[in-house]
Amino acid sequence: MAMISALALEICVVCVGIFLLMADAFYVHLDKRALAYGGIFGLLVVFAMTFFIEPVPKEYLAFYADDSLGIFFKRFALLGTILTLILSIEYAPVVERFIPGSKPGAGLGEFFVLPVFTCAGLMWMASAADFVMIFCALELVTISFYIQVAYMRKNQASLEAGTKYLILGALSTGFLVYGITWIYGMTGQTGLQKISGALLFFPQASQTALLFGIGLVLVALGFKVAAAPFQFWVPDVYQGAPTPVTAFLSVGSKAAGFVVLMRVIEPFLAVPVINAKLVAALQVLAGLTLIYGNLAAMPQTNLKRLLGYSSIAHAGYLLVGVASVGSPSAGRAIVFYLLGYLLMTFLAFLVLIPVAKAAGGDDIAHFNGLGRRAPGLALAMLISMLSLAGLPFTVGFLGKFFIFEAAMREQHYALVAIGVVTVACGFYYYLKVVRAMYWQPAPADAGPIEVSALTRFAATFLAALILIIGIFPKPILQILP
Amino acid sequence: MPTLAHYLFVSGGLFAIGLLGVLLRRNILIIFMGLELMLNAANLSLVAFSRFHPGHDGLPGYSAQVFVFFIITVAAAEVAVGLAIIVALFRAKQTTHVEDLDTLKF
Repeated sequence: MAMISALALEICVVCVGIFLLMADAFYVHLDKRALAYGGIFGLLVVFAMTFFIEPVPKEYLAFYADDSLGIFFKRFALLGTILTLILSIEYAPVVERFIPGSKPGAGLGEFFVLPVFTCAGLMWMASAADFVMIFCALELVTISFYIQVAYMRKNQASLEAGTKYLILGALSTGFLVYGITWIYGMTGQTGLQKISGALLFFPQASQTALLFGIGLVLVALGFKVAAAPFQFWVPDVYQGAPTPVTAFLSVGSKAAGFVVLMRVIEPFLAVPVINAKLVAALQVLAGLTLIYGNLAAMPQTNLKRLLGYSSIAHAGYLLVGVASVGSPSAGRAIVFYLLGYLLMTFLAFLVLIPVAKAAGGDDIAHFNGLGRRAPGLALAMLISMLSLAGLPFTVGFLGKFFIFEAAMREQHYALVAIGVVTVACGFYYYLKVVRAMYWQPAPADAGPIEVSALTRFAATFLAALILIIGIFPKPILQILP
Repeated sequence: MPTLAHYLFVSGGLFAIGLLGVLLRRNILIIFMGLELMLNAANLSLVAFSRFHPGHDGLPGYSAQVFVFFIITVAAAEVAVGLAIIVALFRAKQTTHVEDLDTLKF
């Protein structure tokens, strides 16, 4: 059987993106939605290719890791991008209203193509094993997200969200680069493997400077994964951005941030003196993020903003996992949690977009009476919300369970206690949505809600996976890295 | 003869000026200049570290020098996108002050 190198995957994704851009430029009369279908098809082909991988040549290993974790997150990025494109097709009429253009559909093409390039960046991040590579991949993702967040140029909320994301994203880039500088200065290397070697060789190499460098990198990655106290951009950006971009941002960007975080801290955890301080810092971050995310979510009335705070809260649970990374089961717990997070977040957004389109807004009040108006959509939203809250027999419950188990093994009892209390808070605000759907009367002028066949298929698929993995996690756990 | 410490002090100063500019100034264009200053501070200390810590062969560490080129390129891309967003914002709101960005409020 013909085998391909993992390096070819990203190149294929970039080629798909360039091909779509060309098609957009040269076929003037093309229906722009065809670009999205083309993108979905191209990414599905690349997804199939990930199952026929051969190891990369040794020379590349210094900056490109093609281990099972990397391959898993490449598939994760591809799946996330495909779902984003499905959301974008559903959301296209809204975007069309808010971009200036003389012809119908003008300027819509890039909206479907940019996620493909972001996907390439996410895939490179999944494999990056050198700070130069981490930086370049991270920036490819971040810069293409700037454009996507600010995409609706006639909508002030979108522009404002884009500006805020631009300034805070660039600030975190500044911290990242300056932190890397100090790590390089103290070890003389940019590759993670070589840094690990240098650290074991000179364990005393000026600790203060090294800790300063790691601290700055941690701050920058804290911005990317939305950890408190670096989370203040999240609610505004999530609310203002076009909804498919919000979904992509909350899943893709966060997952890639966590892969990079796990890879970056690994060499430093091997040094005992740094290990203690790093784990303490991660514990503080996790605790703060859990408390802030869950408490601030409670009074929200806008569903997109609520999901923004919920994304901060989930970053907190994942950070508990990262802080317990000394335990052998923590890595798998984080990966499982991220997989579950992808399923339930995209399901929530798949329901949100058609409902918001029909109701003309994305407040929780717009979901009033959805249980009777559109029982299918309401059921999907119910599954997603219960899973996000962590009800047993859903993937969200098992994710939290594995994370807490790893934390117990590392004896982070305080974190587990905070975690359990905040899960209880979580039930309150997720069930607010459920209450609106089933116990509130529908507004009198509510029109029918149209859902395309593709969205219906994707939502059914995700809801089924949430329940199946929630009840039979064994087969999935076995194939996780 | 300037030593490594001199370069690091200048670089630290640049980083601090950039960071303070981001935190204290209210004009988005000035904030953006501060951000670019922070990236250049990193460039300066990278080159200084690579010059003063030569490898086994006596040559400066090349990975830092290559990294600087990547940082310069990425910074240029960031400016291109960033200024486009700021121009679009100015067209929509006729302002570049952060206090006027108040559509999204809790």
